[in-house]
Amino acid sequence: MAKKVMRRKAADNVYLHKDFHGALNQALHYLHIKFGEKAVRDYLKQFAINFHAPLRQALAEKGLAALEDYFKCIYGLEGAECRMELSPDELTVIVPCCPAVAHIRKMGLPLSPIFCETTKTVYDAIVDGTPFKAELLEYVEETGRSVQRFTRSRKEP
Amino acid sequence: MISCTEFIPAYSELFKFLEKKGGEQAVLDFWHFLSDTYLTSLKNLVAEHGIRGCWMYWSKTLNEEAADFTMELDEEAGELSITMHHCPSKGRLLALKHLKPYGNYCRHCDVLYRRVLEPLGFEYQIDLSRADRARCRVTVKAKPVKT
Repeated sequence: MAKKVMRRKAADNVYLHKDFHGALNQALHYLHIKFGEKAVRDYLKQFAINFHAPLRQALAEKGLAALEDYFKCIYGLEGAECRMELSPDELTVIVPCCPAVAHIRKMGLPLSPIFCETTKTVYDAIVDGTPFKAELLEYVEETGRSVQRFTRSRKEP
Repeated sequence: MISCTEFIPAYSELFKFLEKKGGEQAVLDFWHFLSDTYLTSLKNLVAEHGIRGCWMYWSKTLNEEAADFTMELDEEAGELSITMHHCPSKGRLLALKHLKPYGNYCRHCDVLYRRVLEPLGFEYQIDLSRADRARCRVTVKAKPVKT
């Protein structure tokens, strides 16, 4: 019969708990079943507007380079490939395999049928009210492969 | 994609969203659903290994979450404790100055884990009196066997 002690400080580890993808998937399932698709979109919009307020501000002030930096950061943390092409008025983002979808499938959880809204609705909300628009050009449910395009929709006065 | 590093604010915003839809009961109903469908690895580990299963489960999750904690296991006494010196989830929420955390955020840790562990023969206690400083203490004890 063992006695064990484990002491860890925050700096001892990297913050990366991929099972949280599974928890978010379950949350979307729950909202979808209990309140319908609109509730899922309304929730994701609320999250994007509130949490991404600094990114929305950076996008309005610095343009698409702010979004490029953000994508580099999150896909870098997740250890996933993300190819981007940036010009002053357009950013194309290609993710060959979504790390969230890959991990949810690895956990053996059924993927929410509207999991793509974590890409579509979230980025639609992030660009809302900025000079840019977002388009989800391609989404493959099996792998979460996506192609997104962000373009300037209006010139600043 | 919402990165797993962004899940905690997404979780907190979900609680707010649900409370607006159906009050505290709507949040509680979701926690029950999540406990039943997401914490299956904790349930399976404890069913197979007893109190050691708690150690195995939280050894993985707390390290992946880069928590600042002390975890102690006494298998003979059937007891495990976690002293959370700085919770990575609540700590993150408190650090986000532009986002107000869900008021009862930390209660999910009480509801979710209790629901798994008590039917398996354990008492689950959580002291959230210092949750406003991202600190808490969890104790899991084997329930005394009735003779």
